[in-house]
Order: sequence, then structure tokens, then C-alpha cells
Amino acid sequence: MDQGIMKEDMIRVENVSMHFRLMNDRISSIKEMMTALARRKVKFKEFHALEDVSFTVYRGDVVGIIGHNGAGKSTLLKIISGIMKPSKGKVWRGANIVPMLELGSGFDNDLSGHENIYLNGAILGYSKEFLQSKYDEIVAYSELEPFIHTPLRNYSSGMLMRLAFSIATVVEPEILIVDEVLAVGDERFQEKSKKRMMELMSGGTTVLFVSHNIEQIREMCNRVVWLDHGQVRMIGDADEVCDAYREQFLEQ
Amino acid sequence: MNFSSKITFAFYGIIVYLLGIAIYQVIRDASAWSFILLGVAALICFWLLGSKLISKKKQTVLSRIQATFHRFSFLIEQLVARDFKTKYKRSVLGVFWSFLNPLLMMAVQYFVFVNLMKLRNMGGANPMLDYYAVYLLVGIIIFSGFNDCCNQALRSIVYNASLITKVYVPKVIYPTTKVFSAGINLALSILPLYIIALINGLWPDLSILLLPLGLLFILVFTIGMGYLLSSSVVFFRDIEFLWGVFSTMWMYATPIIYDIGILPNIIQKLMMFNPLYHYIDFVRYIVILRQVPSAQETLICAAFSLGMFAIGLTVFKKTEDKFIFYI
Repeated sequence: MDQGIMKEDMIRVENVSMHFRLMNDRISSIKEMMTALARRKVKFKEFHALEDVSFTVYRGDVVGIIGHNGAGKSTLLKIISGIMKPSKGKVWRGANIVPMLELGSGFDNDLSGHENIYLNGAILGYSKEFLQSKYDEIVAYSELEPFIHTPLRNYSSGMLMRLAFSIATVVEPEILIVDEVLAVGDERFQEKSKKRMMELMSGGTTVLFVSHNIEQIREMCNRVVWLDHGQVRMIGDADEVCDAYREQFLEQ
Repeated sequence: MNFSSKITFAFYGIIVYLLGIAIYQVIRDASAWSFILLGVAALICFWLLGSKLISKKKQTVLSRIQATFHRFSFLIEQLVARDFKTKYKRSVLGVFWSFLNPLLMMAVQYFVFVNLMKLRNMGGANPMLDYYAVYLLVGIIIFSGFNDCCNQALRSIVYNASLITKVYVPKVIYPTTKVFSAGINLALSILPLYIIALINGLWPDLSILLLPLGLLFILVFTIGMGYLLSSSVVFFRDIEFLWGVFSTMWMYATPIIYDIGILPNIIQKLMMFNPLYHYIDFVRYIVILRQVPSAQETLICAAFSLGMFAIGLTVFKKTEDKFIFYI
């Protein structure tokens, strides 16, 4: 393909299916289990979040994933980043993945901003040396120098998001997974963070990107996967898939 | 020396130490038990390193453990540091509580049982009871250390739900680091124990070299327990409360305050199935009698530790992929 230029695979999703068992009542204690068993009421309902999804992402690709709510986009991202194990099929990853699914999930309120930079960085999989060398950059970018030794519980939510964003985007990862473009903080910081995201995504990194904003997808991605009820409806060139998606949208 | 080479060093240290103790037991008393102990120690070493001997290409268990440690060493370091820092963050005395807490507990119980209930030297058969304060303190330190580790590990998966659903980290890291960080407290409280022992005139001799082995047994047992509890609590939240009741029962069923000699014969026999009785006795033997515990006793402790670890790890590995649907 592509005039004989071999593209290097970064992620291969091979026949991935994800089935959830939905219980009609969520059983979370021994007592409930006993009573439910006694009444023979433990019923399971199968829910197919993903059905036989396969595609390959090459080095340097910016792949957009589109689809209606509940099409399985977030489940797919979670499976690719290794958080969930698929019920069938497998995922092959060619490099370390930095998932940016939700910011600041590993923060500890009792620790200072300084300590949290190291903790959160470790959770995201950065090395100690890397964090030490980037520490000043993170602090400068978040504009939190005066408060960096204050416990996190005294931070405002905007400050928290700024710190989390600065830690998450300091890397230049080989594979980046983004669930919606993250714009945080006040208007000025939002502009700054959006710009940083665009830089990251256009800098040769392989990106998997979920968004509801079709224009953004068209602008940023070179390939698009369209998920519909857990199945791949269409996959290919960004403009082509986006046009088809828009058309189907208008028909409804 | 970085963290992961420290880990490598520690592992080789443990292997040499285990073999050394087993060989010592054989030299001291060439009984069947000591040969079995040597065999078990050799088996453990073979399990860790041996696959290299069979095939050159095969990775050893040890090198696989090292690779995991190496990859996640910074995270483990950070998580343990976090637990340790937050525990004492808002207290004035800070880490001194690790020393003070068991001492205060011991003082209260000593006062109650010696002065109020006149429980001193029950039966008089057990020479360890001559040093009742030390006897009591060993029991308190080990049981509360064990209990603390279990409680921390029990919540480790459920409380880290926000992390588990967002970032991929091998899930065993959570209960393991919790046991490590709570285990540091247990190790620290050995210091006040020896202060009290010295005050009572119990100068340690070379048998103190066996003390780390006792702590290692407890650590391995507790990690296994932590795996079992943390994974089962994901599916049945009421295990948290059941465990609270159960651990209190376990405490009274363990000879911490009393001596096993005051129990009826049948219960004394049942006590042989209580791992904590063996661990506490093992440490008391070293601290109070200053003798090396027998090969048989060492084997029993090792069997409980390895058994619990195997059970815990199996349950955890079998269920970990389903955690995400329940937390």
C-alpha cells in the first residue's frame, strides 16, 4: 500500500469485542447475593459495547474516532490503553501509551503541589529523571509558583486543573490518547491549553482522538474511524468519513 | 545506586540469607526437619533462579519480578512515600507515633492485666512469661502491625477506583504498596521493643539474626492476606465490616495477653492452625529466650506464609480483570 512505502504499525486492534454483563440489580454484598440466589433472581443481560472491531494505526497518524453517544468510543480507548481487557480479540501496542482520559485522577489532597507533580507523574508512567528535568517547566506552565508548596486541598478547582494539565502535557509521548480536547481554566488559560494540545497533536506523535466536534476532527485528523453501535461503520480518509457521517446525521 | 538495583540487591540478599539459615539448622541439628527446611529453601531459590539452568533463553521468575519492579519502581516509591507522608502529615509528633503507639498500648494492657487482674506468670510453666512486658509487647506489635496492613490493603483497590478506571497500572501494585507502607511501621516498632527488652535485661545475641526472617514471614503472609481481602471486597463490600469483627475475634484467639498454657488441651491443639500464634511465638523465642527457633517451627511459619501468598495471589489474578465493572 501507499506506493510501496511501508508504514510502521503503532497500534493494531484485532477483532476486539467487549461484552458487559449487566445485572438487573447490582449485587455488591454477600447479603444481597444470598437473598437474590434464594429467590433465583440473578439474571444477566448481555450488552455488546464493541463487536469485532479491527483497525491499524500507523506511526504519525492522527486518528479520530467518531460516533453517537454510547457507540463504544470511550470503551475502545480504555481497551487500547490497557485499562480494560476485551472479551474477545486483542490489542497490540508498539510503544508506551499516555492516556489523557481524565485529568488529575491521582491527586492527593493532603500533599503539596510539588509532591503531587511527582505522584501524578509516576502514575502517568514518567520516569524520575524525566520529572526532575521537567519540574520547572511544569510549574512555570501551570503558573502556580506561589502555591506549589501548599497542600492541594487549598487549591481552587481551576488551579487543580491547571496543574493536572501541565503535568499531563509535558511529555512528548509516542502514542497519545485524548478523550475530547482538553481546555481548562479561565479563558486565557483555555487558549493556552488549546494551543498546547494542537502543538502536541501536530508534532509527529501518533494520536487517538475522540471528539463530538466534527470540524475539529476534520481539521486535525488524517484518518477517521466511525463507530456505530459498537461496530466499525466506516474507516478511512478524514474528509470522506466526516462527509458520510454528516450526511447520515442530516437524514435523521 | 538506584531503586531497582537496590531491589535486585535485596532479592539476592534474601536468597543468601534463607540458604544460610537452612544450612545453619542442618549443622546445628541434623534432624529430618532441618533437612526438609534446607530442601524448601533450595526449592525457593530454584523457583526464583532455576529456570536459567533448564534453558538459557527462559526468563527466570526473579528477572520477571525485577522487570516489573524496574518498570514501576518510581510509582511504587511514590505510592509508599505518599502513604507514609499523609499518615503523619497533620500530627505534631509525626513518625514518633510509630514508636509511641505500641508502647502506650502495652502500658495500658500491662497495667490492666498485671495490676488489676493479677495475671502474672500464669501456671509458671512458660519461662517467657517472666518478662511479661516484653511478652505482651511482641504480641501487640505483631498483631496490630498485621491488622493495620490488612485494613490498608483491604481498601486499596476500592479507594483507588478513580485511578484504576483511568490509567493502566498492574493492579497488584495497590495492595502490595499498602502492605509495604504499613509494614514500615511494623519494622519501626521493633526499636521500642528492643528498648523495653534492654530495660528488662534482655541483651540480644546472635539469634537476633533470625528476627528479619520472622518479619519476612509475616510480610509474605500479610501480602497474601491483602490480595485476598482487597479483591474480595470489590465484589462484596460487606467484607469490610465482617473483617472488622473477624480480626477482633482473631486477636482474642491469639495468645497475645495470655499464655497458651492456660487453654484447655483441645484448644491448644487447634492453636497450631493459627498462623499468627506461630509468628508471634517465633519472634518471642528470639527476643526473650534469645535462641534460634527450631527447624520444625521455621518450616511451619514458612508453610503458612507461602500458602497464604499463593492463595491470595491466585484469587487476585483470577478476578482482577473484572474489578473495573464493580468499582
